[in-house]
Formats: sequence, structure tokens, C-alpha cells
Amino acid sequence: MEVFNPNPVIFAPAKATGRRSKPSKPESFWDDEEADVEVDENTVEPIDQDEIFDLIRHISDPEHPNSLEELRVVSAPQISVSENRVIVEFTPTVPHCGMSTLIGLSIRVRLMQSLPPRFKVDIFVKPGSHQSEHAVNKQLNDKERVAAALENPALVDTVEKCLEKAESWGA
Amino acid sequence: MTRFKIAKVAELQGHDERAWNIAWNPAKPLLASCSADKTVRLYHYDHATDSPDLRFTHNTTISTGHTKTVRAVAWSPSGLSLATASFDANVGIWEQEGGDEGEGPNAGEWECSSLLEGHETECKSVAYSSSGTLLASCSRDKTVWVWEVQPDVDFECLGVLMEHTQDVKCVAWHPHEEILASASYDDTIRLYIDDPSDDWFCFATLKGHESTVWCVSWSPDGRYLASSSDDKTVRIWKRVKEHSWESVLVLTGHERSVYSISWGVGKSNDDASLGWLASASGDGQVMVWELTKPSDSDTAPMSSTPPGHSIIARLEAAHGVYDVNAVAWCPRQGYENILATAGDDCSVRVWKVIPE
Repeated sequence: MEVFNPNPVIFAPAKATGRRSKPSKPESFWDDEEADVEVDENTVEPIDQDEIFDLIRHISDPEHPNSLEELRVVSAPQISVSENRVIVEFTPTVPHCGMSTLIGLSIRVRLMQSLPPRFKVDIFVKPGSHQSEHAVNKQLNDKERVAAALENPALVDTVEKCLEKAESWGA
Repeated sequence: MTRFKIAKVAELQGHDERAWNIAWNPAKPLLASCSADKTVRLYHYDHATDSPDLRFTHNTTISTGHTKTVRAVAWSPSGLSLATASFDANVGIWEQEGGDEGEGPNAGEWECSSLLEGHETECKSVAYSSSGTLLASCSRDKTVWVWEVQPDVDFECLGVLMEHTQDVKCVAWHPHEEILASASYDDTIRLYIDDPSDDWFCFATLKGHESTVWCVSWSPDGRYLASSSDDKTVRIWKRVKEHSWESVLVLTGHERSVYSISWGVGKSNDDASLGWLASASGDGQVMVWELTKPSDSDTAPMSSTPPGHSIIARLEAAHGVYDVNAVAWCPRQGYENILATAGDDCSVRVWKVIPE
């Protein structure tokens, strides 16, 4: 297999943010009962940038033994979250990186498996970071292409390998 | 102007994975749906006694034998054959044993009468021409195939059209002429006709959308073509010459990709109505526009004057938080305001558009 970036720069990972998506219990100063009010099932549980980052930082690069975080392919500031939309930008290590769609697909699968279904996820390469930026972005955000890719056993196998570490981190 | 609302008639569960597409049988009270679970489900509908509402009951599930997602379904105009387009690259043709003898509980099993092989990668859409003598299919392999439907469900490939530079998402036949439209990931729409002395060929390329064109649907009168896109818009193209179509209108309102559109005759009280155009999107909304003839439609039917348009109904979260993948008007007389949708929540829903 062709190696697109034989010698990537590796960065030390930051400490895990340790944040979890459990809503903190509302504090009550005068009535214990109120604090135990059941959480309305329509309550939207907020999820922030750091939690999304925790989900994807440990995904392995398809051609190196390193994580996407160590290669600075993903970073927390490149993630934006609103009530029901997540936008993830990632930076391929080299502009001709042929692994970019695979990396993007791994990020998408990880988020699909982990986030509540209300989230629409859009994934883009960092502007100017890839020579086929438009093509990569288009493919990663075409749900039909993604669905078909995930029916391809060889590809699913590769994606699962990239996700093994991320999953064992549990996030 | 009358205001309408979109009211739920039925919610049909049963698919185990994302529901991709639905198709109303044009002749019988049957609705077909298909899914990533590789099956086709058929629902029968009738009027419940002493209720004006339609009642849907699961009729049968066809385990298609397709090895991957069934992406699209289409009925022949007779309603006797059902075509399936699958990510396994094949098109299946399904007919009921015992044929046209009825659809009661004793009617036979649905069996695969033909398997059309030829596409190299995922087949994404399939459509019968209005006469039922032609079938078109398209694929990520960038090609559109035109098949002749011969007696005894024999199919002969009449042409392989290699005009698109990318994935072809949808094919649709003109309602009464043998004109075929295809929509693609290359952001264009192409129109094809048969050269009687030669082969099928592309006579027009419609450019205007800024991203993937997901779906195309002809107006019931055949003078317009609607297209929906990843650029979040719906465009209306008008026939301005025998073989020339122009973009005359851009409809906005969706916030994500518009995956599907369906242009039905509608139930309007406006004499100038060109029918109702429904759209379904990744933003979860279903919208219905009424399109009306432009004032010069009698004097200059091929002018580039756009049709009148207004949103008559809008439904948010049609499938909850999930994407809506397909929308289709019931083509049967008396049911012109009945709509079906298919969603990522695995369900198929049926709606009626009624005055508010």
C-alpha cells in the first residue's frame, strides 16, 4: 500500500478533558423532592466541543500507529457544536493524503455510533489543507455514498481498525 | 388563498433499518417501501367503515435476495410489476404469482421474474416510462441504462448513456413523452430521447444547482421539470422550445439537502393550478408548494415566464429528529392529497394535505 505521509509530525496528547454528558442535578436549597424531579424526556442534553473531541481524539490514523490527536489531524477548536448540529473540521497530514476520506469516514462512524440521533454531523477538511478538498468534503457528506461505503466489508474492516482504540477509551 | 395542513394518516413500522424510498401502486391500493434492511414491504389500504380516514395494513414483506440496501422502488404503470434498485448493482423485477387476479389474501407470492444485471456499482434509482414499455436505471458507475420491457418480462438493453461525470442519483420519465431525465452528483441534470435511426442520446444538460442533484420530478402536464439538490434548493425548469429547458424558478426554505421531490396533481380549487410539489429534506421538513400557470401560459406557453408559486403547507420534524429520504404523492384518483414519506427512523408515514 502506498504511504502518503511516511514521516508525520507527532504531538503529545493533552490530558483527557474528563467531561461527561450527564446533566448535573439541579440543586435545591429548600426541598429535597424537587431535586429528584425526573428529567423530562424532552430535555435536550447539552454536548460540548470537548466531549466530541474525546470521542474522536483516539481514533487511529489508517497508516500510522498514532492517534488523530497525536498527528494533529483533529483538535478541539476545530469542532463546533450547536443544539443539534456538529461540524468537525480535520487537517490531513499532507495535502495529497489519499487516506482523507477514510479518516473522515472513521470520524463520521464514530460520531454516528456515539451521538444521540438528533445530531446532524458535517465533516470537512480544513480549507486549503487538501488538494482535493471539494471532492473529499462532498463524498464525506453524501449520506448515500457513506451508506454504500459501510456495506463494503473491506472498508468496514479498515474503519473498525481505526476505531478500535477510540472505543476502548470508552469516551 | 386556502391554507393547508399536513395531517398524519398512518405510521408504518417494520423496517429494521433506514427506509429509503416508497412507491404507490398506480392501479391498486398498495404502497411499497424499501430499506437498507434489503426488504420491500407492501401495505394495503382501504377506508375504515364509518370513517373517512384511510387504514393501512401490512400485506407482505418481500425478502428480495438483494445482497445490499434496496435503494429505490418503482411500479410499472399497470401496477403489475415492481422494480427494485439495489446497492448490489442489480435491478429486480417482481411480479405476483397469479398475476392480475386480485390482491386479496389468497393472491400469490411476489417473485423475482427478472434480474437486470449490468451496472458495475450501486444502483440508485429505477423508473418505468408512462407507457410501461421502457425502464431506466442509474448507478454510481456514472451510467444510465434504458431497457425495453418485452412481453414475458424479458428485458433488452437499448442504450447505456455515459454522459454524467459522476454518480447518477435519480432517473425520471416524462409523464407522456419518451423523454428521460437523470440527476447526478456532478450537479447537473441530463435529458435524453431516442433517435429513431440511431441510439438514445442526451439532448440537454441543465446546469444551475451548486451541488449534487438528488431528485427530479416532472410536472403532471409535462411542461416543467423540478429538481432538488444538496444546495438546499428546488429548481423549476420550463420547456421553452421542443428540446430546450430553462431554469425559471428557485424555491428555498429547506436548511439541509433536499433528498426527494414529488409533483402531483394536488387538490386545488385554483383553475390555474399546475399541481402540488412536495419536498423532503435532511432538515426533517416536508414542504408543499402550489405552482400555478403564469399569466402568459395561453398566449405564450413556451415563454420563460416562471410559474406562480406559494408554500401551502409545511411540516417540521416529519420523522422526528431524523432525515426524510423520500416523498411521494399517491397517483390514484380520489387520493390526490395523500402523501407518503420514508425516513432514517426506519418508518414510513402517510399524510393528508387538508384545508386548515
